[in-house]
Amino acid sequence: MTKTPVKDDPVTDLPPEVLRDLHRRMVRIRLFEEEAGKLMEGGRMPGFLHLYVGQEAVAAGVMATLRPDDVITSTHRGHGHAVAKGADLRFMYAELFGKSTGYCKGRGGSMHINDLSIGMLGANGIVGGGIPHAVGAAYAAVYKGRDSVAVPFFGDGATNIGAFHESANLAAVMRLPVVFVCENNGYAEFTPQERHMLLKDVADRAAAYGMPSEIVDGMDAVAVYQAAGRLVERARAGEGPSFLEAKTYRYYDHQGVKGLRIPYRTQEEIDTWLERDAIAALEQRLAGADVAPADELAQVWTDTREEIAAAITYAENSPDPDPADLLENVYTV
Amino acid sequence: MREITYVKAFTESLMQLMAEDDDVVVIGEDVAHYGGVFHAFDGLLTTYGEKRVIDTPISEMGFIGMGVGAAARGLRPVCDLMFFDFIGVALDQLYNQAAKLKFMFGGDVSVPLTLTTAGGAGLSAGPQHSQSLEAWLAHVPGLKVALPSSPHDVKGLMVAAVRDDNPTVVVLNKRMLGTKGPVPEEIYEIPLGHANVMRSGTDVTIIAVGRMASEAMTAASRLAEAGIEAEVIDLRTVQPLDSTTILDSVRRTNRALVVHEAVTFGGIGAEISSQIQEEAFDYLDAPVIRVGAPFSPVPFSPVLERAYIPDSNRIADGVHRLLERSGA
Amino acid sequence: MEFIACSSARGPDVAIEVLLPKLGLTMESGLIEEWLVSAGTLVQPGEPLMRLSTDKVEVDVEAEAEGLFHPAVAQGSELPPGALVGWLLAEGEAVPATSVAAPTPTAAPEAAEPVVAAEPGALTPPTQTGRQFVSPNARRVAREHGVDVTQLPGTGPGGRVITADVIDALEQLEVAAPAGVAQGPGVVSPLVRRDAVAAGVDLGSVPAGPGGKIRRADVTAAAARLGAPETGGPAQVIPLTGMRGVIASRMHASLQEMAQLTLGTDATMDAAVELRARLKEQWSAAGIAVPTITDFIVRAAALALVRHPRLNASVQEQSILVQSEINVGIAVALDEGLIVPVVKNADRLALSGIAAETKRLAAGARSNKLALPDLEGGTFTVSTLGSYGIDFFTPVITPGQVAILGVGRLRDSVRWDGATPVRTQVLTLSLTFDPRPVDGAPAADYLRAVVDQLQNPLTLLA
Repeated sequence: MTKTPVKDDPVTDLPPEVLRDLHRRMVRIRLFEEEAGKLMEGGRMPGFLHLYVGQEAVAAGVMATLRPDDVITSTHRGHGHAVAKGADLRFMYAELFGKSTGYCKGRGGSMHINDLSIGMLGANGIVGGGIPHAVGAAYAAVYKGRDSVAVPFFGDGATNIGAFHESANLAAVMRLPVVFVCENNGYAEFTPQERHMLLKDVADRAAAYGMPSEIVDGMDAVAVYQAAGRLVERARAGEGPSFLEAKTYRYYDHQGVKGLRIPYRTQEEIDTWLERDAIAALEQRLAGADVAPADELAQVWTDTREEIAAAITYAENSPDPDPADLLENVYTV
Repeated sequence: MREITYVKAFTESLMQLMAEDDDVVVIGEDVAHYGGVFHAFDGLLTTYGEKRVIDTPISEMGFIGMGVGAAARGLRPVCDLMFFDFIGVALDQLYNQAAKLKFMFGGDVSVPLTLTTAGGAGLSAGPQHSQSLEAWLAHVPGLKVALPSSPHDVKGLMVAAVRDDNPTVVVLNKRMLGTKGPVPEEIYEIPLGHANVMRSGTDVTIIAVGRMASEAMTAASRLAEAGIEAEVIDLRTVQPLDSTTILDSVRRTNRALVVHEAVTFGGIGAEISSQIQEEAFDYLDAPVIRVGAPFSPVPFSPVLERAYIPDSNRIADGVHRLLERSGA
Repeated sequence: MEFIACSSARGPDVAIEVLLPKLGLTMESGLIEEWLVSAGTLVQPGEPLMRLSTDKVEVDVEAEAEGLFHPAVAQGSELPPGALVGWLLAEGEAVPATSVAAPTPTAAPEAAEPVVAAEPGALTPPTQTGRQFVSPNARRVAREHGVDVTQLPGTGPGGRVITADVIDALEQLEVAAPAGVAQGPGVVSPLVRRDAVAAGVDLGSVPAGPGGKIRRADVTAAAARLGAPETGGPAQVIPLTGMRGVIASRMHASLQEMAQLTLGTDATMDAAVELRARLKEQWSAAGIAVPTITDFIVRAAALALVRHPRLNASVQEQSILVQSEINVGIAVALDEGLIVPVVKNADRLALSGIAAETKRLAAGARSNKLALPDLEGGTFTVSTLGSYGIDFFTPVITPGQVAILGVGRLRDSVRWDGATPVRTQVLTLSLTFDPRPVDGAPAADYLRAVVDQLQNPLTLLA
């Protein structure tokens, strides 16, 4: 892999802590997902996973602009959002193993990780299912006089479903503090973008609702951070919703690592995006700008690996849910 | 006690609920400035303002989903689905989201959402504006479903539904909107899941849903003239279902008839009938029969619609079939 | 030999219809147990066509005319009296086009108005094929009261036995239903209500029976008080025959209905035995039926009842109905159970008459050819277990009666003549009585009277 030349960049305008924070978030996501993928495809974890590997910069960049009381909703490919928002890795792994100590007490699995205490209003298994919830959360915030914002994450495919359009229109007409973040990884499951919409830029849709939008390089954590920051501030100031399209890519299959092993993307395409890997790119910038030395960055990887190993151990040793409790939480009593 | 209409009792419930709890908001199409197409929301906007009574675009999925999100974040939204028939365009937010968030998120998120809607036939509203689909919703764990049969019950059940921390669907009956009945002035609650034994009897148990409760009472009066004393149970809610009251009654009368406006096939009567034969088999003197609508969409023509919707005559006929004896 | 003839309709060039006969006043349906001839057989008048059973009897039904027999219904069909069951055809005659492939239910119900949402066939069990349909609740109530459902006619759809049929049977047995029966206290069943309407009785004026329940009998009594004519005949027709289940259920019912006390005493039978021997010598030569010891006892019991009418009675809710006739039933043991043919007016028959009658009835019982009148109308019962070596026992009163006299075996014994032992023949009489109409002392008086007659047997010839 050839090294991308480090161009002059505005990195030094941002405090080093912000950049290190972006890096840390991305490494956590990367390692969490890699380990989860191995466990699942190795047969040690039930069900299936939709891995976020490759898209880390979007989650990290956006989350770094949000407060704990800002609410996000996520998708089937939601581990990255949860980790970036600050979820406890032990309870995440425990949920993936279906244990009673998991975030959903073993009832939800990968696609329903949630932690309201950090503003994570759940991942959703229905495409577009969580977008209206974010609109509702924004409405509740305004109603209660809070200045928090709501950020629904979704893919390019989700912008075709009714719930997206209704939510966008509702948020616009009601002028709610919502930042719609579209992670355009070029595919709706196995169908490339050019086959599921005529638009090249999904962000063009925002104008249909009277909403401003921005397009950003989703492999550049700093760019995402800056763009998201602008739109979040706008929302927080009461100026209404907006739309952020981050162009990004997932290295692995729609589901799993190797997934169904039916090739629908070329290795060439994958390699192109690998060369632009967000973590590697940021590390280069950090090293080049002398913001963080290489060994410090390496330590992040080591520390994260340890934390993840401990989290997996915690999860595997946790008790399974008791079938006697099967009917718990069907209703709020 | 003063008598008010079914629809006014509904409005009054919201007036009083919104007064007692600031987190109660009303969201729907034409509910604010127009007061709702059935005038069920008259006066709420002027009393509580635009922040709490919201007109939405035609986006049921969107605004009901918004209700889910708002409920998860501490509000107590009442989302109005203008016609029960429109549930299809929003169903995901109701059965996959509202009903399941509590369970699949592990219990930390509650959805105290109330969905109000209007169902039932008899106004020549046509096949897509006349349905009774409560059986679909009763089938979803996590939802509660109420069908008030009188002005008194509308108010009491609405109060219970809005105060309940679970997603609850309250289905008004379009034909009952103008019927009058005694309604206490103060706020009161009718607990969900408790059926109302409207009439005691010994010869047969008639289990009714929604507007069919009053048809059942009419049938019971006619049957009494023939010396048949029917016990009439108004279920009030189909989820939770008050099986205890049903079974206790059937064990005493030994005969049961379930009546609902919904299509007979796969209607809630099928579940009730099945429970009865499973739990009270040895007390049955005759099979449990159901009176419901035929297996077709609701027809438009008044002549057809009249033949379609179950009524007191069909209920009474059903009871006679249950009791028939030869040679005695 | 008794035979039951089928009613038949004859017309020119018309096949002779064979209809189900009505056996007895209260028959509601009969079960064709078996066709005794196969289709196409030429039968003569008097030849048996089918074995028919009701809740009371099982009889062979004979052809009334000649013809080639062709059945219209299947073996095992249960039909009401008058139902078409077959034809007698002339040679070459075709089976009528109106052949009924399946039997009709007990009474054709009025065709219901077609209902748009009618559930087809929900209430009607499949056509009777010999299988009895009983509702679950009917089964449960029958079980609780010891009633055999298989003996009951069904008036529900398709002939299903329903709870009301069980209640009817219980009411006919004059058994007080306990409070736990299908209808609770203070409740009136549709059947009772229908009776009241038909009889013009205001239910509000009818005093309730046990458990606060108004029964059919109460309505009937109230109607009687209104002066509505009762159907003539004896005060009560109480079924006396038993298939096993009916015996069992009636024993149980009897003991539930009333307390029963038994008094025993020995009768010295020397004189009676000697008299009998002398009668045998002289009467058999003259062709007069010779009485058995049991016949002596029947006459003694009947004559004693004349002077003690309270033991020849039936207990109603509010009154004791003293019977107008003295009809003594004699329990006869069969292989399958018990049958109790009745000697009518036993007080008015001479000893020879009783002898002839009991001979006829016993023969009929054993050959299963008793007619219904022979089995109905008993007011008192005599039951002998002597031939089984029993001395004393506690017979159970036949429901609807108030006393039963049990007879033990004739046995050798000893009596004392001063200080001298004298050989003698005795038997033990066991009188079980219902203490409601009669106390112990009067019952004992009655028993003493019977013993006196037996010990002075010439009085029985009067």
